Amino acid sequence: MTTTTRARPPSATLSTPRTVARPRKLRALNDQLLGWLLLLPAVLLLALAVVYPVARLLHDSLFDIQLSGAAPVRFIGLQNYQDLLADIDARRAAGNTLLITLITVPLSLLAGLLMALGANLNWRRRWPIRLALLLPWALPMAFSGMIFAWFFNSDHGVVNDLLQRLQLPTVRFLLSPFWAPLCVCLATIWKTSSFVALILLAGLQTIPRELHEAAEIDGASRWNRFWHITLPLLKPSIVVALIFRTVSALQTFDIPYAMTQGGPGHATQTLAMLINTTAVDYLNVGYGSALAVLLFAVSLGISALYLRHVYQEAQ
Amino acid sequence: MSASQNKSSRNLRAWVALVLLVNGFFPAVWILFTSLKTETELTQTPITWWPHAPTLANYTQAFTQQPLLHFIGNSLEIAIGSALLTLVAATGAAYAIARLKLKGRGLILTGLIAVAMFPPVTLLVPLFETMRALHLLNTVLALMLPYAVMSLPVATLLLVSFFKDMPQELEDAALLDGCSRLGALWRVMLPLAAPAVFTAGILAFVNAWDEFLLAQALNAAPDHRTLPVGILFYQGEFTFPWPVISAALVVAIVPLALLIVLFQERVTGGLMAGGLKG
Amino acid sequence: MFGVAHFFSVDKQGQQPGMRTAAARVALACLLISAAHSAHAAPAPITLKLFVGGSAQRPDLLRHVLDDYERSHPGIKVELGAGGATSELQRRYLSTLLNAEDSTYDGFMIDIVNPAQYAAAGWIAPLERYVGSDAASALKNHLPAYRQADVWRGQLVALPAFSDAMFMYYRKDLLARYGIATPQTWPQLAAAAQKIQRAEGQPQLQGLSIQGAPIEGAVCTFLLPYWSAGHALTDAQGRLTLDVPSAQRGLQQWLDLVGQGVIKPGVAEVKTGDTLNDFKAGKAIFAVNWGFAWNALQNAPDSQVKGKVGVMALPAVPGGERVSCMGGWQWALSAFSRHKAETAAVLRYLAAPETSRYLALNGSLLPVYSSLYQDPQILAQLPWLRDAAQVLQSARARPVTPRYGEVSDVLRMTTSAVLGGSQTPADGVAEIQNHLQRVLR
Repeated sequence: MTTTTRARPPSATLSTPRTVARPRKLRALNDQLLGWLLLLPAVLLLALAVVYPVARLLHDSLFDIQLSGAAPVRFIGLQNYQDLLADIDARRAAGNTLLITLITVPLSLLAGLLMALGANLNWRRRWPIRLALLLPWALPMAFSGMIFAWFFNSDHGVVNDLLQRLQLPTVRFLLSPFWAPLCVCLATIWKTSSFVALILLAGLQTIPRELHEAAEIDGASRWNRFWHITLPLLKPSIVVALIFRTVSALQTFDIPYAMTQGGPGHATQTLAMLINTTAVDYLNVGYGSALAVLLFAVSLGISALYLRHVYQEAQ
Repeated sequence: MSASQNKSSRNLRAWVALVLLVNGFFPAVWILFTSLKTETELTQTPITWWPHAPTLANYTQAFTQQPLLHFIGNSLEIAIGSALLTLVAATGAAYAIARLKLKGRGLILTGLIAVAMFPPVTLLVPLFETMRALHLLNTVLALMLPYAVMSLPVATLLLVSFFKDMPQELEDAALLDGCSRLGALWRVMLPLAAPAVFTAGILAFVNAWDEFLLAQALNAAPDHRTLPVGILFYQGEFTFPWPVISAALVVAIVPLALLIVLFQERVTGGLMAGGLKG
Repeated sequence: MFGVAHFFSVDKQGQQPGMRTAAARVALACLLISAAHSAHAAPAPITLKLFVGGSAQRPDLLRHVLDDYERSHPGIKVELGAGGATSELQRRYLSTLLNAEDSTYDGFMIDIVNPAQYAAAGWIAPLERYVGSDAASALKNHLPAYRQADVWRGQLVALPAFSDAMFMYYRKDLLARYGIATPQTWPQLAAAAQKIQRAEGQPQLQGLSIQGAPIEGAVCTFLLPYWSAGHALTDAQGRLTLDVPSAQRGLQQWLDLVGQGVIKPGVAEVKTGDTLNDFKAGKAIFAVNWGFAWNALQNAPDSQVKGKVGVMALPAVPGGERVSCMGGWQWALSAFSRHKAETAAVLRYLAAPETSRYLALNGSLLPVYSSLYQDPQILAQLPWLRDAAQVLQSARARPVTPRYGEVSDVLRMTTSAVLGGSQTPADGVAEIQNHLQRVLR
């Protein structure tokens, strides 16, 4: 951090003491006011598009609402949540979701980091690399899933075609309870690592080049420079990527939905897919809402954990 | 020593470039090739890579069967609109949280992020009701607003982490020079955070560009269909014409990709030149 | 806000009579309004909106029919809207709308498996009052399966729009070349397919293509041999009557066909469109598929099998009957429509024999009335319907239950898992029984 001051304009260094001398109270009050003013657009947006839907979801989760007419609508308190604990489908979906999260989050973070480092090298032509970084992202999620399903198809897929050309045995990837989740993970990593790379690339670009140059002059190796300069300065960006990658992994829906429809058996059915099935196909709105609240609580818990960590670091 | 190091470093760079390019381009190129094939060629086994008899017929069909340009226009409008909304809301919120000594800012930030963390698939019905109550169904706002909310957390957090790391002295200097707080934000902080702002903008843009579930539920009228929803209209009840759909995807992706690349080049270039020296 | 929403939902599911009186009140209000309107000089035109799916449901042809209707009914305008190209996308879209009790659409075209579900949810209104007759007489001239599929708790809840069923497509030329009669049972089909496969000597040539991917077609893949063995999945009250040995034998039969090389090993990834494409490219001797395939096989420019396609009823299991799985689309009246009577009149017109005939002649959509399968003009234009008629007469409706979503989910997922080899037939059927016992009580 100390080296940052080198980039600091000289006038700023001079001015610091004088700022402190200003009337602090007035400024603090103004800051509070301005702060809330600046927060207003965000708060308005949230109020408009989130408050009612979320309240409705919480409300519905306390009721037995089965549109199939299996039972009359009635208030059942926390019964839906109690049922959750004993539901093997929910447990299986939670397990699958956890597996996808544990595999894809670290790997897409790693892949994204490598991609960002690669893209941040001093290329003569930057655009092909940038484009390569962005293309997976410009392909809508639902289509990425379909394309990967096609790649892994037993008879028409590229992967088996390659295996055949290399004289290796072909595999029915999407029909195997072992391979299918891994294929879903691979597609997810491919699709999401460019999101990570983008965030990290922005972080890399704000690291002053002078830092690296100074370290190079001091004789620091490439690895040392990465470990002692790049990585610490990149940490805030990594945390941001980590939070959102984790939450989006917990909410995985489109890719397995397009690739396997949750099969074989239910080997790739995630919680978000189960919620969708419960609410849209089974019309079991109350229970579906409880599942959604559960997923939300887990997402929230994890991001709060990260955030606390960030704030403890900062203070 | 330095010669061999240079050589190995050049080799490494070549590998890096190769991996990045293959990873990024392969599916897109595959789609491009598919868009030039006939449906018959697609069902052949063993499969073909390079199209045997390239045809542009799929592109003609992509344009004539559905109003493809209209879909792209809708998607662009909604994605740009929601990205701008996101940026306005996120920049304000992030600056307030990172630079102003707000009471309970940790809580505010957590709240801001938490509220938007519901899986969209669970919010379809109540969102539909909200938009209907506001008379926004089948308007661009019906999607812009929820999309902006969807991207708000990531954009806010990204900007918070940037604003937080900015040297206090820069801002103080601006304040001394007679800028108001807002002026300092606008003239000093924002230009410095340009890569983050731009990244947040792209994130928001692509989030909106990608989204399918809400788009289908809230903007189903043919005039308002976005690209992911519209492209699925090329399929029949039981058929999925990959060649035509690939053609539509290519048409949709190419201009978008070029746009993003050119834009990014300019913004980051500008930053390198001006930002850190100022 | 919640209070109101909740009140409505209680009214909807909890007390049927409450809903009916509410509906009656609305109907009465409509009557009064229209009476008040007719007292004035020119009645304001009413605009109705109908939901149809993608191009497969031929909104273009329906538009023509509705233009005629509008000409003869000056006070009525009818618009068509769409929400997705496949049954699944449409169902998703409608479930959002209808969960929100939305009145955008006055009527919908829905898949044959959905009327009970929508009726039980209170999303579609019974039609007897508007049709002027009970379910039995309203459907007496239709194909038999509709008397189950479109009736819920004794009430008529949907009108057949156009029909479909699973057919056996086969290569007439190949069967003729090797002097093979059309097979009557699955073992005969297996023998015929193997004989041709051996003689043709192309490793690419599949004996039979069926749908094994976890899509709705896989439900039929499960039910076809099971039904053929003389069993039903549910009784008249909708309770589960699963015959475990027959269900296992049915799944085992498909596995045996895979083992014999008649069905390709990757069958658990095969969707309806793949079956069509393989057969169209001349890569399958037999194929189980919906009626839409006929048009594509005979008329698509890239079809390799023009003029070589035969169609027949599905074979039976040994000693069983030849049955098929009913498909197709129904018209239903939205429970939230503000113009129920007017909409019902339009739906009756769209479901009338003349419309069915028009859709058959102009769009090759299969008629829903038994008599139209003897119509000389239709048979002249669609000669294959001569063979299809018997299939449609013997086609059965998939289980009619408001919890069809769950039934379909477990049947398709299990069938696909068994065909993909990740589950044994015994385990698969045990899982089906386990699930459906809770659902179909």
